[in-house]
Amino acid sequence: MSFEKFSFENKEGIYHIGFGLNETKSMTVISKQTLEELDQALSQISDDKNAKGLLLFSHIPGCFLAGMDVSVIQSLSSAIEASEGCEKGQSVFNKIEDLKVPSMALVDGICLGGGLELALSCTKIMCSDSKKTSLGLPEVMLGVLPGFGGTYRLPKKIGLTSSLDLLLTGKQLKAIKAKRLGLCEYVMPSERMLEKGAEYLFKKDADKSLQDSFTEKASENFLARGVIFRKARQTVLEKTKGFYPAPLKILDHLEASFGKRRSSYLDSEASAFGDLSQTSQSKALQHVFFLQDEAKKLDGKDSIKSVGKGAVLGGGTMGGGIAWLMANAGQAPLLKDINTVGLELGLKQSSLAFKSAVKRKRLSHDDFERKQRSIKPTLNYDGFKSADLLIEAVVESMKVKKMVFSEVEKYVSDDCLLTSNTSSLSVNEMAQALKKPERFAGLHFFNPVNKMPLVEIVRHDGVSDETINKLYKWVLDVKKTPIVVNDCPGFLVNRILAPFLNESAYLLEAGVSIEDIDKAILNFGMPMGACRLMDEVGIDVCVHVGEIMEAGLGARAKANKLSEAAVAKDLLGRKNGKGFYLYDERGKSTGVNPDAEALLPSKKISMDETEIQMRCVIPMINEAAMILNEKIVDSAATVDLGLIFGIGFPPFRGGLLRYADSSGLDHIVDTIKKYSVEVDKDRYMLSSYLEDLVTNKKKFYES
Amino acid sequence: MQPVYLVNGKRSPQAKSGTIFKDIPAPYLGDYLIRDMVESSGIASDDVDEVIIGCVGNPAKYPNIGRVIALEAGLDQRTSGYTVHRNCASGMEALSQAFLKVGSGRSDIIFAGGVENMSQAPLIYSDEMTDFFMQLMKAKNPKNKLKAVSGFRLPHLSPIIALEQGLTDPFCGLNMGQTAEKIAREFGFTRTQQDEYANESHRKAITAINEGRFREEIVPIIAGEKLDKVISSDFGPRGDSSVEKLAKLKPYFEKRTGTVTVGNACPITDGGSMWMVCSEAAVKKYNLEPMARMIDYHFHGLEPERMGLGPVLAMDGIFKRTGLKLADMDLVEINEAFAAQVMGCLKVMREKDLAARWGVDVLGAMDMSKLNVNGGAISLGHPVGSTGSRLVVTLAHELEKRKAKYGVASLCIGGGQGGAMIIENLKV
Repeated sequence: MSFEKFSFENKEGIYHIGFGLNETKSMTVISKQTLEELDQALSQISDDKNAKGLLLFSHIPGCFLAGMDVSVIQSLSSAIEASEGCEKGQSVFNKIEDLKVPSMALVDGICLGGGLELALSCTKIMCSDSKKTSLGLPEVMLGVLPGFGGTYRLPKKIGLTSSLDLLLTGKQLKAIKAKRLGLCEYVMPSERMLEKGAEYLFKKDADKSLQDSFTEKASENFLARGVIFRKARQTVLEKTKGFYPAPLKILDHLEASFGKRRSSYLDSEASAFGDLSQTSQSKALQHVFFLQDEAKKLDGKDSIKSVGKGAVLGGGTMGGGIAWLMANAGQAPLLKDINTVGLELGLKQSSLAFKSAVKRKRLSHDDFERKQRSIKPTLNYDGFKSADLLIEAVVESMKVKKMVFSEVEKYVSDDCLLTSNTSSLSVNEMAQALKKPERFAGLHFFNPVNKMPLVEIVRHDGVSDETINKLYKWVLDVKKTPIVVNDCPGFLVNRILAPFLNESAYLLEAGVSIEDIDKAILNFGMPMGACRLMDEVGIDVCVHVGEIMEAGLGARAKANKLSEAAVAKDLLGRKNGKGFYLYDERGKSTGVNPDAEALLPSKKISMDETEIQMRCVIPMINEAAMILNEKIVDSAATVDLGLIFGIGFPPFRGGLLRYADSSGLDHIVDTIKKYSVEVDKDRYMLSSYLEDLVTNKKKFYES
Repeated sequence: MQPVYLVNGKRSPQAKSGTIFKDIPAPYLGDYLIRDMVESSGIASDDVDEVIIGCVGNPAKYPNIGRVIALEAGLDQRTSGYTVHRNCASGMEALSQAFLKVGSGRSDIIFAGGVENMSQAPLIYSDEMTDFFMQLMKAKNPKNKLKAVSGFRLPHLSPIIALEQGLTDPFCGLNMGQTAEKIAREFGFTRTQQDEYANESHRKAITAINEGRFREEIVPIIAGEKLDKVISSDFGPRGDSSVEKLAKLKPYFEKRTGTVTVGNACPITDGGSMWMVCSEAAVKKYNLEPMARMIDYHFHGLEPERMGLGPVLAMDGIFKRTGLKLADMDLVEINEAFAAQVMGCLKVMREKDLAARWGVDVLGAMDMSKLNVNGGAISLGHPVGSTGSRLVVTLAHELEKRKAKYGVASLCIGGGQGGAMIIENLKV
């Protein structure tokens, strides 16, 4: 018998199933066809009286199985259909478990979701010692749970506590860690796996250590179990603030099914999967998954030369963060500043980022030393001709930046990409300072660079597509998410964030309290309240950005007066310990700042939470529509990607415009019209693009 | 021999051991210098034939530090790298090997230099303790184990200081300071004469620092516990040095009758230095502008207990080999291991009887305005693996500044040797 999705061979009684056959992609996923073919193959094996064993492996180096095809999950249109799909998969995997002969998965590379569930149904798992080998059940990140028996077999194999850690966070384990937890039995060099697999398949292993069996006994005790589940629920609620149903559902299901027979356990799993797959949160998370997946694609990526050496102009927080990024990616950056103080600020920033990785055991001390030392602090342009990519992060002044660029052009090679990390200045204007503007673009990072995933690549009129493509690839290479935007005040993210913050300040001026606003925004799902965010960004920076927006966009971006008044009272935000909130020396918030309160009207108004949310979020949607109209970005997807990764717009809402689509654009347009009368006609000036969508009965994602 | 070009030479700042560089692993005192020169020369990472590094206390973690430095510098993995050891002249030994390889046409681009982190010189278990561990490991059953354990005595734990052992000559049993005392005694140098010499070294070094004369030769290095400090200046020369202050120090090596103190000897130091050595073909191919040409080198041996006079024998040898004379030299570097030892060299160079005793020509009276013009090891420090090439770095940069032609760098070598190298400045 032969199959399309895997190779199938009987070698002296040991059956070999090799995934990734005829696969052109680097990541093999499980499709419906894979399951059907597996079912047939397993029937044949169980019918074969002379069968001795089964080995599952992959022909693709670096990937065992990357899990179920997410588009299959996305296509499920009802809970029943989803549950039925699970049951099919479960029955196939049960067949492996029920084989009379031993089976083993030989995992070399990625083994996630359905891939790991498949491996778990084998008698044993052998992992390769490759750095790429990574095991996990990331379903929770898509708002669902493992539906092919993973919630049943994982706790059986590694115990309840470790399982919860993996199931609730979706975290992935390297081979050594997997072995330590008992998830896999053996770790081997990948080249030896097939040969040793045939031998170790039949190896009898020593019994579990005393400590392991004790831990197991302990979690079987129902009292202890109660504590474990209570604690886990508490942690989940703290982390998700209750916005995400999947982790809670996983806990409910595990607690209710604990100790039950396989069939009822799996029934409960399938039904939980069915329910979760239809939640709006899961749909939104799947949407975000595809946005991200799409962003990783770049035509002809492999033919574009990678950046070998980087250069950063300007130390300081941003420059240091960018130097860290380059050093971490092995691009040994030159870091130039005009004085040692600036250089040391930059090195400090980079050191902080590396040290935090060392603390989390993601980086060895030796590698910290090596990478941090690969940064070359310098006060002159010596060696700049060796750089392939230069990122400027000097003071935010057009005059200075133009001067710097016309100077630096003399010291770099002709192929060196030149970029500016400006957040507020016109990239078009800056390009005029250059002799070769085609190799220049904006490259806007978010602070802190090591934590914020988004990078805006900003085009200008004279930039070449080659430059944009090279930068896109570089951003992917350094493991960030790129979006390409056209030049405009604030580019994409800050331009949409500005009306949000501006409107919050107007609400404060109107007498809504700091606490009420931040609570409403947090309950909407944003990572922090609006006033808190202004403190983080720096109120002075907000004022500066506000001025730029008003100058560039006109009356609808009319800046509030409150922020200015706060700055005049030296309330700058977290950086000087006082903004809308007060902060202690370590930067921890100690409560609302009375000095900020004093600037607000003494007469408070109480506003409905939803009303506050709408007042802050709707101007963002309106501005995003204008951005699409001006073709600043190519699609609603880019807007959503930018806001999720740039400001942490709640992923369970799928992004700003997906949220707008799902709440009904006609309703949003009506609200804007209402506010334009009740609040302010300029700030709520309806975007014609948005109005047209409603007239044509379309959505952002269908235009 | 084909011409051998010193295209570019750089060094790290030098810091007294146990201070700001104490935590820097030795490879990082050299790799970044290569990186710097690769970047500024425009050569590719796979254009380099070889990396040769002098290191005396090669750290146990990096058994062949030359190769480690080649890789840490980001050079292509195919680049060969090795380590050489000629005590205090290891850096010069590295240069001499580069000279022969490039001069003979075998190689076109070699990085040669030296690194030393003397702060990290280890403490070593005594032979008794090592033996104890061996017995313990060999013992297979409880009885033998018990027997092995019972062999332990507390004094076995007292460590051997590797640095101290390394600085003691295995033949004459004297440590380096005692060899300096010997010269001081035999030549009749007083304590004050030595202190005056040392004070002058500090004065010259401080003047050089204040005038920024080291700016071109030093590449700033990242230091500090968090690796967020940039150090671009030497940490050792004292602006407040005076003969009176030096006079207060107690003799270190011969407590009662001695004249050599830590003040008129060089301090143990951390630092690195590097040269990019190229053939004529490489210079043309990459359009390089060499700083200097390496004329030749010479090493010579003498009695270990008077190792400090090594520079005289080495200079005598190189002058004979090249036909050049002391008078042809615009600048002279004699490494300042000890004040007494440099003073001894100057005496042998000019006095006929002494010259005859060591079988050398009378080289002539030293024009003090040409000697160690920017200070020496007494003030700047002596990272032993690096100094041999560091002297040439400082010499070449100073020749360039003065638009002068010839310079000789020389040093005494523990174990009873001397080394010398003559270069010709091409940036006149």
